[in-house]
This record gives sequence, structure tokens and C-alpha cells, in this order.
Amino acid sequence: MTAERATRRGRPRRAWREWLTGYAFILPAVVVIAIFGLFPIAYAVYMSLYSWRVRQGAFIGLENYSRTLGHAGGALAFFGGLLLVLVAHGLWTDAFGGGRGEARRYLQAGGALLLLASGVSVALGWHLMAQSGDRAFLQGLVRTVYYGFGSVPIQIALALVLASLLFQRIRGREFFRMLYFLPYVAPAVAGAAVFRAIFSPRPEFLANTVLSLFHIPPQRWLFETKPLTEVLFGGVLHHLGVAHITGFWAGPSLALVTIILFGIWTFTGYNAVIFLAGLGNIPQDLYEAAAIDGANRVQSFRHITVPLLSPVTFYLTVLGFIGTFQAFTHIYVMRQPAVRDAVDTASIVIFDTFYKRNNWSLAAAQSVVLFAIILILTLYQSRLFGRSVFRG
Amino acid sequence: MASLPSESSRAARASRAPSGAGRRARTRSEPFEFKLSQLPVYFLLLVGALVSFTPFFYMASTSLMTLGETINRRLVPARPQWVNYQRAWTEADFALYFRNSVVISAIVILGVLVTCTLAGYAFAKIRFPGREIIFMVLLATLMIPSTVTFIPNFLLIRGDVIPWGSWINKLPALTVPFLSTAFIIFLFRQFFQGIPDELWDAARIDGAGHLRFLTAVVVPMSRPVMMTAALLTFVRTWNEFLWPLLVTTTPTWRPLGVGLYTFITEAGPQTHYLMAGAVITILPVMVVYFFTQRQFTEGIATSGLKG
Repeated sequence: MTAERATRRGRPRRAWREWLTGYAFILPAVVVIAIFGLFPIAYAVYMSLYSWRVRQGAFIGLENYSRTLGHAGGALAFFGGLLLVLVAHGLWTDAFGGGRGEARRYLQAGGALLLLASGVSVALGWHLMAQSGDRAFLQGLVRTVYYGFGSVPIQIALALVLASLLFQRIRGREFFRMLYFLPYVAPAVAGAAVFRAIFSPRPEFLANTVLSLFHIPPQRWLFETKPLTEVLFGGVLHHLGVAHITGFWAGPSLALVTIILFGIWTFTGYNAVIFLAGLGNIPQDLYEAAAIDGANRVQSFRHITVPLLSPVTFYLTVLGFIGTFQAFTHIYVMRQPAVRDAVDTASIVIFDTFYKRNNWSLAAAQSVVLFAIILILTLYQSRLFGRSVFRG
Repeated sequence: MASLPSESSRAARASRAPSGAGRRARTRSEPFEFKLSQLPVYFLLLVGALVSFTPFFYMASTSLMTLGETINRRLVPARPQWVNYQRAWTEADFALYFRNSVVISAIVILGVLVTCTLAGYAFAKIRFPGREIIFMVLLATLMIPSTVTFIPNFLLIRGDVIPWGSWINKLPALTVPFLSTAFIIFLFRQFFQGIPDELWDAARIDGAGHLRFLTAVVVPMSRPVMMTAALLTFVRTWNEFLWPLLVTTTPTWRPLGVGLYTFITEAGPQTHYLMAGAVITILPVMVVYFFTQRQFTEGIATSGLKG
């Protein structure tokens, strides 16, 4: 409206001044964000193509990437597979959207097949990469996935319970909400420092004291590199004649589990607050109608709350996974020098490649790979969020 | 508009904030009655609260213990050892770190408010070619994790890319990169779009330009959103870790978080001093959060959902 009026009174000068004012207003912000937010992406890619240890060296093309990912075909299969999931999902939802009869069935079958193919492709690709790629980094990715699967579902389940409890007509809702949110607001360094003390390997500290109440011997927590399955079932397994479970299925180390606990402690409250808002958006008459039809509380939770909250759940899940791929501070603070191999997630490995190994271009290449993964996750989110997650 | 890109870090997620709209639908003044059947609900809520609060309690309690008490399974100190704080404050340099964090936060908050108010206003109220595209590109930066940006930014700060000399261990290294963020611009833009155009028309007839209108009319109207922006920026800056760790090799401008970390690596088993340091690091954020928590949590909730 303002612009139209401006044009009527002699376009050139007016419009010009308006434009200039606009550009002048955004200039400071754009300069800062362009230099410290946008430029680094391009520069990280540029760096990754050189040999660069503190000082810039020779151009080496994709060598850093082949060092990181090992097998080129494997990497292609891996990332291609991740992207294929999106196509499969597209076919699947199209099947429900428009198609009818035969066509619909074909689309669905195609989607399912593609999904299967993408799974195989990801697994195969990973297998090839793992043989010759950068061990520290690829292991870091595996640990990141553990970390995500260990913390995100639990966070979300707990948060959903807390939120639905809080949503009832109870006294002190604000108070509880404030308490649950507290860990999220606190500086991660300080929180991690406290966790280091609580989960100290010495028997007198809090976590081990609590265990001793249940007659469980003290654990070494952040110092424990043994995988969880062995800590929990080590004795039983020995009886069964299984000495060790190795590889992926051995699960995360107890040290990583402790870090996962920190993640749960921090983010459950955040997720609960988001769920609370989601609960507020569910029309109350649905519950009333269900009550008239004779549904009890558990039934209406199962058949109304859970399905209607599923977009929020999905959103939080993807965001949680993106968060784990970026998690840095608390892991960095909680890791003990002796057990680094057991807890370092991808972002920590990148930091070490840069900071300790001083291989800047390799670190840059690794960070570009990590960014690609995060980007794919973000794509999942924007593609899938809010669609097709409703059931029933 | 396409969905707001998922943000670069959990810290950034803290900064999803309200545009003023979208309160929760429930009314607060419903008559309250206690039912026995609600007892399990309260029980579970209390368990949750206990888990959430225990580390804070442990921290505060341990920070007031003697060294002996920290390793003797004491729940609370026999007599609070305030001297621990004095020690941490003076001998472990926490006074300096605290001052640094305050200065850094103040500069960043001020910078963010100025740059983002201007940009948010322009994106909301001024028409110019490329407006939407530029805005989208800025928003896209929220997706970029700091794990990717920190290496090139380190080179920038050392003056390797743009020859402005090395900022390592200097104040600009800790402030300049944070002087503007797309998220707060987004926040302001949302809010400013809600301001009716008639006001601008009236101001223009009175001969005011955009800058005049912005400072005299828009800013005074926007106190709540400015407050939210300042709060979120404060918490984010105060909690920043990776970047300050990288660019402060000496204590001169080292902020609290990094100070606490170096203390952890050096202090060894001195848990009581360490916890005193943790309290000093956490307390300002807690105080701010405590007094503004409704604004804070509801802001995050409503905007988180819009995502």
C-alpha cells in the first residue's frame, strides 16, 4: 500500500529512496551474517580441497573426502540411499493422495520396494565405507546414532507423559513447568560439570551411593569403556558361553550412556513444553465426544492425544536427531581423557581433528560431510513434517 | 512462507520465541478442586521434579561443603562454607571471567537489538527488490551447524582471510560474529508485520522518515518483543562454549563457561570449589529465567510449534 502511493507521486525518486533506505537498514545485519554465517560454508568446502595444516598447502582435490569416507562408491550408495527414502515416501503418500485402484497399489508397492532398496543401499554403502574410511570419524558417526537412539525416544516418551500430566487441572502447573525447563536453560558446561561430579567413579559420590542402596556395586560411569550389554549382562553372557558381543549390537559404552542420561535430563523439559503447547491445540470437544461414547482416560489418550500429537512428536524427533549430530559442549566437558574412543561423537571428532591433530582441511571435509547428513535430516523434516503422521 | 529452517543448535532452539500471539487455549482461572484420584498424577510430577532438580541441589549443597564432606556422602554441609565462593571468585579468577561474560553479553545484546531491529523493520515494512530472497537466504543460515562454521571463522578471526589482524584473545573475537542473527530478525519481522500500515501513513504525512518512525513509534510499541530478544540473546551468549574455547587462549577475555572448563581440567578432586564455580556460572541465567520464565517458556512453545 505504501509503495503504491509512493509510485503515484513520481516513481523514480521516491522508489529509489525507499529502496536505499531498505538496503541501508538491512546492511549491518547482512554484513555480519554474510561474513560469519554464509561465507564459512563456501570456505569450508574450499579448505577441504587443499592440504591445510595450520597453513594452506597444495591443492589435493577430493583426497580429504576419500580419506574420510573411504570408498567412493560406498559413499554414493550411502548418501543416495538416505535420499531415496524421500522418494519412497513421496510415492507412498502419492498413493494415498490421488491414485485409485490399480495405480494406487502399484505406487504403494513401488514405495515399499524403494524403501527397502534405500535401506540395503545405506547398509551396503556403510559397509564399504567402514572398511577404508577414517575410523575415528565413522565411529564417531556410529556413536552419534547411538546417542540419538538412546536419548531422543526416551526424552520424547518422558516428555509426553510429563506434558499430559501437567495438562490436567492441577495446582502448581507453572511451578512444575519451570522446574522441568530449568536443565535446558542452564549453561551446558556447568550442568556437565555437575554430572561429572555426580557420576564420579568413586563410591562415595551420588550415583554410586544410590546404586549402593540397591546393593549394586559402584560403577566407573564416565570412565567405563565396556559396552552397556556387557555391564548389564556380562555375567549372564559368560554363563551362556558368549564371551563378548562386539560391533554395533554391543551397544554404547557405559560412558556414553552417562552422557545420554545428561541429554535426557536436559531436553525432556524442552520437549514437554512443546508438547504442552501441542496439547493446547487439541480441541476439547473431541475428548467430550469420546467420553460420551464411553471412552476412559487411557483410551482417549491412546486414540485422541497420541495421534493428534504425532506431528509434534515427529517434529521433535527429527529436531532431536539434528541436535545430537550437533551436540558438542556437554560431551566435550564430560569425556574423560582415557575413554575418548568410547564417547566421541562426530562433532567432537571434527573438533579434535582440527584442534589436536591440526589437520584443518581434513576437519573441514568432515564437517562438510556432517553438514550433508544434517541437511538430509532437515529435508526429512520439511518433507514429512505435518503429513501422513496422523493415524486412525 | 516456507517453514522456518530447523536451527543450528539446541542453543538456537532456545531462541524460538513468541510473536506475542498464540497463547495456550486453557484458562487459568478454573476453580480448583483436589481429587484423591489425582494423587498418582502429583506423585509422578514430583518424581519428575525431583530428577530435574537433584543436580541443582547437589551442586548448591556441595559448593558449601568442606573437602571432607564432599567425599563422605553428606546430603547437606554441617556448616555452609561460604569461603569456597570467595576462593573460586578470587583465586580461580571467576571474578574476571564473570566480568568478561557480562561485558560480552552486554555488547552482543546491544548489537543484536540494533542490527536486528533495523533489519526486521526493513523486511517487514520497506519494499525493495530482492527483499524476500535476501530474507530467505538469511534464514537458511540457521540450518548451518557451528561445527561447520567454526573452522573458517577461526581463520577469519586470525585475519588470514580478511587482513584485519588477529582478534584472538581480544574482545571483538567474542562479540563481532554474534552481532546479528537471522533468528532475532525473524522474530522482529513477525512482530513488526503486525503493526498497522496506517500508523506509517500518518507518520509520513507528518514528515517522518523510516528511521524516525522506527525510533519514535515502532520501538516504543515493541517493548515485549525487544525484551524477549534480549533475554534469548543473553542466555545464548552466556552459554556459548565452543567458540570462546577456541579464541581465548589466555584469561584476559575468557568467559565463565570456558573458565569453568579450564578449572575442571585443572582442579582435580576439588569438587567443592568446582561446584561453587558452577553455581557462579549458572546463577545469572537462573535469576533471569526465574523472573521471566512465563515469557520464556511460552515463547519457545508457541514459536517452536510454528516451525
